[in-house]
Parts: sequence; C-alpha cells; structure tokens
Amino acid sequence: MARANNNGKRKSMSYTRYGYIFIAPFVIAYCIFSLYPLLTTFWYSTANMQSATANFWGFSNYEAYYDRYLDLTKLYSDSFDKDVGIKKADYVKIRNFFAAQDKADAYDPLNEDGVNAIITNGATGPITQKAIDELKQALDNKDLSYLSSDSFKQLKDWKSQYSDISLVVSQKVASIYTQISAIATPATDEEESVEETEAVTAESIYTSDQYDEFVANLSSGEFTEDQVALMNYLAAKTGKATLAEYFTSVKNGEAAVEDPLFYYVLSNLSKPNAVNAEGKTVDGVSVPFIKNVEEYLTANGWSDMITALSSYSKLTGYADGSIDLHDDEETLYTDLETLHNAGIINIVKLEVKNGTVTESQDAKSDSNCLFILRKFIDEKYVSNENELATAIQITKLAAYYEDQGRAILVGMKIPVDKYITYSGSFDINKYFDFKREIGLYDALNYDKYKELDKARKESNVAKAQKTIEEAEAALPDAQAAYAAIGGEDTKSKEYNTLKKLELSIVSAKDTIKNPVGILGKVDARYVYIFSGLENYASIFASKTRFNTVIGAFYNTALMWVIGFIPQILLALLLSAWFTDTKLHLKGLGLMKALMYLPNVITAVTIAIFFRRLFGYSTGGTLSAAQQVIVAFGGEPYNFFGSAWATRFIVCFINFWMWYGNTMIVLIAGITSISESLYESAQIDGANSFQTYTRITLPLLRPIILYTLVTSMIGGLQMFDIPMNINLNPALVNFNGTMIKSIRTILIYINEQAFGRQDVKLVGVAAATSVLLFIVTTILSILIFYIMRDKDAAKAKKALKKGGTRG
Amino acid sequence: MSANNEPKLRSKSASIRAYSIMVYVVVIFFSILAVIPFWFMFMNATWDTMSIQRGIKLWPNPNAFKQLGINWENLAKRSTFSFAVGFKNSLIISVSATALTVYFSALTAYGLTVYRFKGRKTIFAIIVGVMMVPTAVNITGFYRMMSAMGLLGSKWPLILPAIAAPSTVFFIKQYLETSLSMEIVEASRIDGAGEFYTFNRICLPIMIPSLATQGIFSFLGTWNNFFAPSILLSRNEDKTLPLMVAQLYGDRYTDYGMIYMGLSASVLPVVIVYAFLQRYIISGVAAGGVKE
Repeated sequence: MARANNNGKRKSMSYTRYGYIFIAPFVIAYCIFSLYPLLTTFWYSTANMQSATANFWGFSNYEAYYDRYLDLTKLYSDSFDKDVGIKKADYVKIRNFFAAQDKADAYDPLNEDGVNAIITNGATGPITQKAIDELKQALDNKDLSYLSSDSFKQLKDWKSQYSDISLVVSQKVASIYTQISAIATPATDEEESVEETEAVTAESIYTSDQYDEFVANLSSGEFTEDQVALMNYLAAKTGKATLAEYFTSVKNGEAAVEDPLFYYVLSNLSKPNAVNAEGKTVDGVSVPFIKNVEEYLTANGWSDMITALSSYSKLTGYADGSIDLHDDEETLYTDLETLHNAGIINIVKLEVKNGTVTESQDAKSDSNCLFILRKFIDEKYVSNENELATAIQITKLAAYYEDQGRAILVGMKIPVDKYITYSGSFDINKYFDFKREIGLYDALNYDKYKELDKARKESNVAKAQKTIEEAEAALPDAQAAYAAIGGEDTKSKEYNTLKKLELSIVSAKDTIKNPVGILGKVDARYVYIFSGLENYASIFASKTRFNTVIGAFYNTALMWVIGFIPQILLALLLSAWFTDTKLHLKGLGLMKALMYLPNVITAVTIAIFFRRLFGYSTGGTLSAAQQVIVAFGGEPYNFFGSAWATRFIVCFINFWMWYGNTMIVLIAGITSISESLYESAQIDGANSFQTYTRITLPLLRPIILYTLVTSMIGGLQMFDIPMNINLNPALVNFNGTMIKSIRTILIYINEQAFGRQDVKLVGVAAATSVLLFIVTTILSILIFYIMRDKDAAKAKKALKKGGTRG
Repeated sequence: MSANNEPKLRSKSASIRAYSIMVYVVVIFFSILAVIPFWFMFMNATWDTMSIQRGIKLWPNPNAFKQLGINWENLAKRSTFSFAVGFKNSLIISVSATALTVYFSALTAYGLTVYRFKGRKTIFAIIVGVMMVPTAVNITGFYRMMSAMGLLGSKWPLILPAIAAPSTVFFIKQYLETSLSMEIVEASRIDGAGEFYTFNRICLPIMIPSLATQGIFSFLGTWNNFFAPSILLSRNEDKTLPLMVAQLYGDRYTDYGMIYMGLSASVLPVVIVYAFLQRYIISGVAAGGVKE
C-alpha cells in the first residue's frame, strides 16, 4: 500500500470523481453484457418461451422439475388418500401389479414364430415339458389362458436369461403391433431414442354438444381485438371469410376432418391460452366440438375400434414407461372397465382391503388383458388391413383432438408419411406447403409478420378515419348544445361530450400519422408459434433420468468428482515432492512446464483427439486404443458404447488437463509457508512425513479448499469435452444411453435453448441456468469468504505497519 | 529453503537415493504423460491414413515433409475446416478481447485503487462476488439479446463483453496495491499531468508485468473458448479455430492423417507461444490461482 501524506490526501479528494469515470466502462459493460442477460435469463425461466415472447408463466418451469422428479412425495402425501380415493399402500401395490402385468405381456407369447423359437430353443433350455406343451396348446388355440402361471413365470425368467431368443420373439412380433405401438410412441427425433418422445395418447374421446353454440358464438360473440386478429388470421389460412364459415363447412362434411389445417386451427383456438397472430397469449375460445368427429367415427363403425385401440396404446404406454401411471391411473381404471363392460376384454377385478390386493375369483387369467385386446383387434380388423390402417389413423385423429395440436406439431414430423399412407387421398405436398407457409416448426416467417403488421396498420387507419368522420359529423351538434347552455360550464355534460369528440379526433389523427401495427409491440423474429406445446413439462415426463436436468446435474457432479479426486491426490503428492528439501529434484521448472501444458491447449482439440484415440469402428479400422487392446490379445472394445467407459474418458481428460495446474497452485501454497516452521520442525527431529502432515497439510488447507471450490465451479460448467466427445453420434456408435451418460448441465441448456430440435425450450433452459446459477452462487460465496479472510489478514498486517489511509 | 540444507542431506545415504529415484520415475512418468498425446498427435500428422490404420505411430514418417504436405492439402479441401479462416477469426477475437480486457481492467483496477470515491469498497466487493459467476449461466438471455441486436454471427458479442472481466480486475488490483505508490501519481499531478495522461503514460507502464500475465490468461481463455462461440456463430466463415476443430470428425472413411494434421495445426501455435511464455504463465498460476 502506498502511503499518502495529509497534503496528498486532501488533494486527491478533488480527484475522486475520476474514480467513477475510470470504472464506468467496466460497470457499463458488465451491466449490458452480463447483468442484463442474467436478469433476462431469470425472467425467461418463468416464461413459457415456446409460445411467444416472454409471457409470464409463474413457476411452471420449476414445477416441471418438481412434478417430475422431486414430487414423489406428492404420491405419498397426506392428501393422497383423499385425492385418489384409495390408500397409498394399496395404490402402490396396484401400480406394481399393473407394471408387472404389462411387463409380462411385452413377451407376446402368441406370436407364432416367437413361440416356435421358444419351443425349439426351450427344449434344451430350462423350460419344462409341461410349459412347452402348454405353449403349444396356447398357440394352437390362440389363447394365452392355456399357459399356467408357473409356466409363464418360467418363460419370463428364461427370457431375461436368453435375451437372443427373446430378441427373435420381439423381432417377429407382427407388424400390426408395431403399427399399433406407433400410436403410443410416435415420432422419434432423428437422434434421440424413443424414450425421449412423450407418447401421444389417445384418451377417451371428448364429447360435447356445444358445437353449434360455439359457431354461433364465433359469429356474434364479443371478442377482444387480439382474439379477432387471431380468428381472422386463422380464417385467412382456411380460405374462408370467417372461422364460423369454416367450421360450419367442416361440420357439413365439406372440408375433410383429416386436414392438418383443421388441427392447426383447432389447436390454436381451443387451448385455454391460445396464441394470437401477434404472438401473445390470449384467452382462447373454447372449442369443444369433438362430438363432430365422434359422429364421423361412429357413422363408419369404428367406435369400438377406437376405444380398443386407444386403450391398447395407453396400456402399452404404461408398460414401456412413456405414460406415468400415477398421473393416469383413474382413466386407466375407467378404460379397463369400459372395455370389460363392452366384452372386449376380460378384466380381473381387484379388491383392496386392509392393505392387500385380492383378485376376484370369477376372472380369467390376470395377464391376458392386453392379449385379449389384441386378439379382438386381430379378429375384427387385421383381416382388412385398410380398415385397420384407417382405424389407426382415426385413433390418431382422436389423439390430436385430445392433445390439442401437440401431436401434429411434434409427432407428425415422422409419422406424416405414415399418415399420408393411411389416409391415401391426402396430398403430401399440400401439407408441406402449408407447413412451410405458416412456419410451423420455425420462428414465424418474418415477411408474414410484416404483412400482418401492414394489414393491422391499414385497419387501424381505416378505423381512425371512420372515427374522425363520425366525430366531425357530431361536432357541430355538440358545439351547438354547449353554446346553448352558455358555453362556460366546464363540468357540464355538454362540455364533456364536446371535449370527448375533439379528443377522439386528435387521437385518431395521431393514429393516422403513426398507425400502431403488430411489429411495434413484439419483435416478430422471436415469435414462435409452437402453440400446441404449452405443456412442455411433458418433455420432462420421460422416465429416463439421464435425459433430464437431474440426470445432467448428476452426470456433471459425478464426472467432476471422479476427475477431481485423483487430480488433487496426485497434485498433493507431486507438490510435496517438488518442495521436499531432502529430494531436491532437478529440472523442476521443465517438469512444471510440461505438466501444465495440457491446461493451455484447446479442450476441444483434446476431446476430438481422445475420440480418435478411443473410437471404435466396425469397418476394420482400429483406433489407437483398440490396437493396444488387440496387441495384448484382447477383443476390440467399444469404449463409447459403454456409458461408464465414456465417462471415465471424460474424467481422465479432466484429470490430465488439471493436475499440473493444481500442483502449481499447491507448490505456491507450500513455498509460502514460513520456512522457520520447517526449521524448528527439523530441530525437533521431525521426518519428512511428519513435517508434511503436521505443518504443510494444515497450513495448506485454505489453498486446498480454494482449489476445491474453483474446480467445482469449473466442473459445473463442464461442456467442451463431453460435448465434443459426443458431437457426432454416428461416428462412435453412440446409442441413446451413451449420449445421456455424459450430458452435462451446459450441454442440456445448449440442447434445450439452441439445439437442433424443432421445439426449443428456452424457458426450461433458462430455468436450468438459474439452478446452475444458484449452485454457483453458493460456491462463490464460499470462495468469497476464503479470499476475504486472506484480504482481512493482509489489511491487518498493513494496519500494524501503519500504512493506512483510513 | 533448500540451499542451506543440501550438503547435509546429500550425505544421508542410499535410502534417500533409492527414494529419490522412485520419485524421479513417478515425476518423469507424469511429465511424459502430460505431453505424450501431443507427441502422438504430431507424429501421426506425418503419416498417411493407411499406415496409421496398421499401427499406432510414435515416430515420425521418413517422408514426413511430403506426407505433411499431402495431409495439409487434404485438410484444406475440407469444406468445414479452414485453418486460415479459423485462425484469423480466433486471432481477431482473442487479440481484441485481450486488449479490451487488459486495458479496461487496468483502468478499473486503477480507478478502484487510486481514487477514494464513495462506494468504492462496495463495488470492489461486488466485483469479487461476481468473479465466479460463469458467463454460461446467462447464455439464454445473452443469446436472445444478441439476436435482438442482430449480432449473431458477428464478432462483437465475443469481443465487447471482455471490457468487463472481474477476475482480471481483481488480480490487477492486487498487484497495484503492492506496486503502485501514490507518490508517482502525486508527482505526475504536480507536474500538471491530467488523470488520463497519468494513467496511460505513467501508471500503465508500471503495471506491465501484471498486465502481461493477465493478458496471457485472457488470450488463452478467449482462444480456447468454445461454449459461447458455438452458440453465437453458425456460418463457417465466422467460426473460430475450436469450432473448426470440433467439426474435424469424420465417418469411417476418414483420412486419419488429415485429422491429426488438423489437430496438430490447432495445437502447434499454442504450444509455441507456451514454450516462450511458460515461465510467466506458471508464475501467474502460482500467484493467483488463476482458473477460468
């Protein structure tokens, strides 16, 4: 610290304002480039960013976490009994029961090829003759009930043991079932596995007789300006003058109900929060007219098919985990009961008493609910493939209604060709044109917005002109009336009328001068119209933990810990040796320089290099690591095919990049320890080890803690290496699990906000950022205290020396 | 501390010698481990793909120069990787960002050290506080802001934020407090120099050792930065070297020699710079525990 005499101090007072000037650039730049984005990130985290600009969305993004991952407690909450109507313990049992049942069914025992494979292979396997006989009988009679539960259990156990046979079975599952399950899990993104995609469920068809009311309402109802704009916008898409006209034409069968346009209109209108053409969320118009569709289906004799298919798809959804049972258990019971009552399936009635679940005796086999359902579908529809295809399509249609457009926006990406195949008559080019035109997947076409803006301005100007005309027409009368009462009473009714007219003319003239359009209000480039996707919490519904934020946090923490522990241990060891006076190592500077080198090299380069090193190719080319394995007589091992191997590679890179750095920091820490301590230790006869554990380590603790915290904060931002190890899935035979195993928080944020997927969940990404911020802040506070102590100590020292400036 | 004790300890016989041999073995192992990948990278860059496929190459190709040329040509043919463009973009961004960071951090640190204005301590406390808040956290807001300003693909979003580098300010201020004496500032004022003149002409030169260290770290940080550029830059002609390198993967028909060539090309400039500056870098790490 410099010492300033009194004279200087007084003088420097007049210079203080320069302090503000000097730090101004920093403060301004920080506010613009860090603080403002940080605050907007906070803001976005409470917004439904899929639909439009930041509409206030409360804590939905956080709730998404809570619901999907932390809300197991809700299931066991005190109000559960009351909410669900059964005891928690009973519920859990039922849930497990159904899960087991559905899993067992996935076996599909009545597929002919599969069963024959089982019989052939099972004869030499652990399957008893009894089971094989039963299986044959079941196959012959197409009835699973021939299989005793003992045999079934055998098969199940055996299946898990002999996965190749079960593979044959599952591969041979008739294509019809594949198609059916396509309903349960449509649309997979190119890279992401099926589990990533939330199932589009065909729930029971909504019925209502409010359709006519709705159309009437559309024609005469009172709407806000935004709603009118929305309706006009949508009407323009349909090519009709008004929406009411379009809906009437649909009802009369003039427009095809399969038309995506119809879903589009519907989904945009019927949501509780529709998004208007301006990108704002408005109170949607309720459009409950599925009745129309139901009529359509019933007229074609598909009603029971729909019920069966939808229930089937749902049941398979439970089985593969794409639908959370505890969200849905009520409708499940209803579905099953409906099917049972309709004679489509034979369901086991469960009775729950005192915490135990009992099956009623009159029921048939417990595990064949789905099987019977399938059989029903087979018997009734498989014979006629077209009919089935149509029925499937109709089920989808019903799902679209139920899902309010989500399916078409998310799910249709891949199934669209299937859809075309089924519907036959539909013109695919028309559909794609339509999609392109409205910018279904991308940010809304900016030119479109300009058009809309222009139209809005024109209509506003027209309105204003009309207002002026009317006001000017009424003006003389008002003036006359005001003059008639003497023209002085400024509180009179006549005065108010007159002023109102004059004001309306002025403001209308203003409007003509500067008409307000759409663009002035929102930046249309950011208006996304993923309007059917308001419930993005459903993205989180994927059961696979590693696909999720929690998984990302877990991965990050895990990889940091595995990399950090050897790093700090090695750094402690090396720093002890490097500072050991007895050893007096030579070439210390060179070694330090070499060990620090990895830290300055671009992490991306290192990641790509390691990918080359450990990559695996089936094309006869072996990477370096494979060559080493082969040289030692091993089989080439696909490192990136294993989640843990990949994690370890990432951890090793982190370890390798950072041990030199940590070591240098620790060496600096050790050399700053007062030498007299070591000298006195030596006089007392302490050996190296004692000196190290008694003096060095305790005094090094703050530095170690500092290293720990900085490394942790750095580790939380792990991105470059896992991202680039992972960048090209095709190259290193990545599968879904693989990608998940090294997905860190930043990768997750990156994917959600800037990924290649159509739907960018900016809100979710922002919420994740905020969680990261909170964690980082806690760690920062920690390090702040560590460093402040150091400063405080320094200040005290300075104070003692007398060099203070007050 | 070792100098005094050395002779006494040297005489301490064979057990220590054995111990020190063991230590040397371990230390040399880790020193080699730190550089072997780079050696591997450079060596393989001198080979053709066929040879690399036959076995790992830890020695240079006898025809290294010819093969280097071929690999370099193949690399230049790739549409997604242009060393010249990447290098140029990286250089522009890194140099500008470093210059801004160093100058404005020095300015801020100087302002906080020399002038006793109100709220000075609070501001410094805040700077220390936000030091550890990563830029990655606000990326969503930052991206949308840059998008709104039409700056996506531009270099400005990667350069301008460098004006505010809290950790650099912190370390420069640490340095200033021990090495800048107020007498110099006073003397300069008495001689009639303006405040900015004093800073630019008199105090800035005093800060050079600290600025150099911080400049090196700032440069390396910007040069190696991947997260923000990967989000903000999408066109090939805008991309920085790390982004180019990230595209340096291939399918199974990949030219391995070319990939190693590309990796080496991206590593080599840093290694060369490091070779000259390692002393300052290491003392900088030791002094401040600099971690990005």
